[in-house]
Amino acid sequence: MKTLVIIPVFNEEETLRGVIVGIRSYLSQADVLVVNDGSTDSTGNIAREEEVLVLEHPYNMGIGATMQTGFLYALRSGYDIAIQVDGDGQHHPEFLPSLVRPLLEGHCDLVIGSRYLSDGGFKSTLPRKLGITFFRSLVWIFTGKRVTDPTSGFRAMDRKTLELFSEEYPTDYPEVEALISAYNKGLHFQEIPVTMRNRQGGASSIGILSALYYMVKVTLSISIGSFRRVK
Amino acid sequence: MGIRLNLFAIIGSIILLLVILELIRRRYLQERYSLVWIITGAVFLLLSIRVDILYRISNFLGFSIPSNALFFFGVLFLILIVLGLSVITSRLSVKNKILAQEVVLLKKRVADLEKSLRSPE
Repeated sequence: MKTLVIIPVFNEEETLRGVIVGIRSYLSQADVLVVNDGSTDSTGNIAREEEVLVLEHPYNMGIGATMQTGFLYALRSGYDIAIQVDGDGQHHPEFLPSLVRPLLEGHCDLVIGSRYLSDGGFKSTLPRKLGITFFRSLVWIFTGKRVTDPTSGFRAMDRKTLELFSEEYPTDYPEVEALISAYNKGLHFQEIPVTMRNRQGGASSIGILSALYYMVKVTLSISIGSFRRVK
Repeated sequence: MGIRLNLFAIIGSIILLLVILELIRRRYLQERYSLVWIITGAVFLLLSIRVDILYRISNFLGFSIPSNALFFFGVLFLILIVLGLSVITSRLSVKNKILAQEVVLLKKRVADLEKSLRSPE
């Protein structure tokens, strides 16, 4: 199985090298692709020094577009499995093999690493808990499935999912919407327990106002999207 | 409406039409987006020549004074134009994203090809 690990990065010079090293030691047979979303620090240089595959966006296009560029590359280069790992070091690479296993066994098309399935020491704040509850309910309403960590960006997917995501993937805050569009396409997803580190470097990308925008945007997009005919 | 105001409105409408035509001539405005503006200019011109049309419309719809009707339709028209522009912007940003992604992937392919040319196996 040809496997590609996609790391979307925007100014992750403090953490990127560690992430790449971790992936190589736990999933040595996989290729690593860094999609650099217009970083203004030395992130791009670090990726080139580490001799991973590198794609450079000409300007900052957002996390969704960045992942989609990676999906397009994976699809066109004939990869069977693509894995998304954040560049900030919050995803533990030792979970990579168990993230891929359900795909290899053919149980599902999309695997989500959930930090809430086990009691794995992820310190959560009250606003984050509220947000997670909100998105869990949203996913439950639109799919009837209970997903504990719908915003998790630690995911592995097969080619069927890649085909969908390279066709349509939201440009910002894509995770929850992508889950629902995968469900609507008849794809199966499954969660596995992982632990995540709190951020090692940089600042979290989500403040109060953007959290509100996140919830409103995703709700709007999913509600209106449910009136669209499925292609 | 006094004759002076009437004349002023006619001249204004003609200037608007001329500006639109000049923008099209210089290719600052594409024909497909210019149609709505040409129609706007023409309607302005018609209304300033035949002010009685505005009076009749305003009477028919029950506006207390014709200028209210003018303002109402003006604002409505602007809202529609801005909405149309938002649609165009959205479409452009989607196309722009796809274009950028294709460029990124092409650059990667070119770089890979160059590398394989420089070091034939």
